[in-house]
Amino acid sequence: MSAGHGTTTGPLPVGQFAQLIQHTVKNDPMFQHQALAGEVSQWSVHNGNIYFTLRDDVGQMSCVIWRSARLNIDPAIKVGSEVIIIGSLDLWPKRGNLQLVVSKIQPVQTLGALEETKRQLIETLRDEGALEMPSRPLPSLPKHIAIVTGAGSAALSDMKRLIENRWPSMRTTVIGVLVQGEHAPRELVRGLAITRDLARPEVAQRLGLPPVDAVIVGRGGGSPEDLWAFNLEPVVRAIMASPVPIISAVGHEQDHLVSDLVADVRASTPSNAIERLVPDRHGVLMLMDDLDQRLDASVQRRLQELRQQLALLTSQLKHAPGKGVYRAKDVLNALGGRLTRSVDAGLARQQQRLATLQATLQAAHPKRVLERGYTMIQDDKGRVLTAAASLQQGQTVNLQFADGRAAADIHTIEPEEDQP
Amino acid sequence: MSEEQQTYDEAVQRLEAIVTQLERGGKNLDETLAMFEEGTTLLKRCQQELAEAEGRLAELRLDEAEALVKDDE
Repeated sequence: MSAGHGTTTGPLPVGQFAQLIQHTVKNDPMFQHQALAGEVSQWSVHNGNIYFTLRDDVGQMSCVIWRSARLNIDPAIKVGSEVIIIGSLDLWPKRGNLQLVVSKIQPVQTLGALEETKRQLIETLRDEGALEMPSRPLPSLPKHIAIVTGAGSAALSDMKRLIENRWPSMRTTVIGVLVQGEHAPRELVRGLAITRDLARPEVAQRLGLPPVDAVIVGRGGGSPEDLWAFNLEPVVRAIMASPVPIISAVGHEQDHLVSDLVADVRASTPSNAIERLVPDRHGVLMLMDDLDQRLDASVQRRLQELRQQLALLTSQLKHAPGKGVYRAKDVLNALGGRLTRSVDAGLARQQQRLATLQATLQAAHPKRVLERGYTMIQDDKGRVLTAAASLQQGQTVNLQFADGRAAADIHTIEPEEDQP
Repeated sequence: MSEEQQTYDEAVQRLEAIVTQLERGGKNLDETLAMFEEGTTLLKRCQQELAEAEGRLAELRLDEAEALVKDDE
C-alpha cells in the first residue's frame, strides 16, 4: 500500500485493512502449511473446536483446531506438551486476531520420552507374565517361512541370498512393509496379521501351500528412532499373538528392542535369523543317506551273528560227549531239535519279512543316489572303485548311471593331496 | 509311535537311536527285525518330509498379501 494511495482516497476503513492482511497471509506460501514446533499452553475446547496457544521462549501464536478437521489428536497432548503442528495462518477480520489453523498436531517424542514409554511397556509386560513365557522351539525342517520386513530393503536381500545358499527351494513368503516412520507400526501389525492367517490350515489349504510354521519379523540397522516401531505396544502385541514360533531380527547385535523380549527367538541380525531357521540342505541329505546305510549294514551284521550262534548251538548238541548220560543227551537232543525247528521256523518267517523290506530298500536307495547325479564306478570284475589311488592309467572302468551303464578308459589320475 | 504328532526332528532322533542300538548289537532276532522295520518306516517318513519342504520364494506387497488371505472370506 503506497502512501499516495492513502492520500488520494482518504483513510482506509480498518475492516478492509484486516481483509487485506487476511488476503495477503492466505496467499503467501510462507504462511501456509508451515511445520512449527513449540509448547502447548491454554488448551480449551468450545463447541468441539480446540483453541490453544503455541509458545516458546521467544514468542507465541494462537492456534485453532476446527471440529470439522476431525483430527486424530494424541490423548497425551496437554498443557506443557512439546508438539509439532502443521498450521496455516489466517485472520478473522471481525476480531482482527491472527491465528494458526492447525491441520496436524503430534507430540514431539524426544528420545528420553521414548525410552520412558519403552520402560513402561516392558514393566506392563513383566506384570502380565509375558516375559516369562517359554520360548517355542523353531521347526528343524520348516515347511513354510513367512518374513515380514522392509520391501526391497538391504536386509531382505541379505536374507534371500542366505536362503539361496542354504536351502534354495525353501518355501518362503515375504511380506514387504514399511519398517520406519509414521506408518511402520500399522504396516508391521498388518503384515503380522497376514502371517497368522497363513498359519491357519484352512487358509493355507485354499492357497495350496503348507501352513506357515515359522515367522521372521525384522529390519536392518538404523538409528534408535528408525528402529522404534519394534518397541511399540501394537507391534509387540502382534508378535506375541503369533501362533507359530517367531523370530525378532531387528538391527544389529547391540540393538535391544521390546520385540526381542516377546519373540520366541531373538536373532542378532536378519541374516542371523536365516542361519538359525533355515537348515543346510546338503547336510540334511547327507545325514539321511548315512542313517540309511548304517541301518542296513547293522541289521545284516546282526542277522549273520544270529545265524552263526544257531549253527554253533546245533553242532554242540549233536556232538555232546558222554556215555552214561544218554538220558540227559536224549533230553538235550530233543530240546535241541525243538529249538532248531522253532528258531528255523521263526528265522524263515522273519527272513521272508526281511527280504521284502530289503527288496524295497535296495530297489529304492542306490538308485536314488544315482538319480541325484552320482555315478558308481566298477572295475571289470564288478568291484566298486572308491579311490583314485586304486586306478591305473589305461584301465577300463564301468560307469553305472541311474538309467544304464557305460564303459570308460582312465587317462589321467590325480590323487588329492592330504589336507595340512 | 504317533506319527502324526512326531516332528521331523523327533523322527530323526528316534532313527538315530535305533541305528545306534542296532550297531551296538546284542538284540534278539525279533527285536532286531522290529527295530529294522521301525527304522525303515522312519526313514521313509523323513524322506517324504524332505520332499514336502521343497517350494519357492514369493515376495508380496502388503495389499497383495492381504488380498490373498482375505479372498472369499
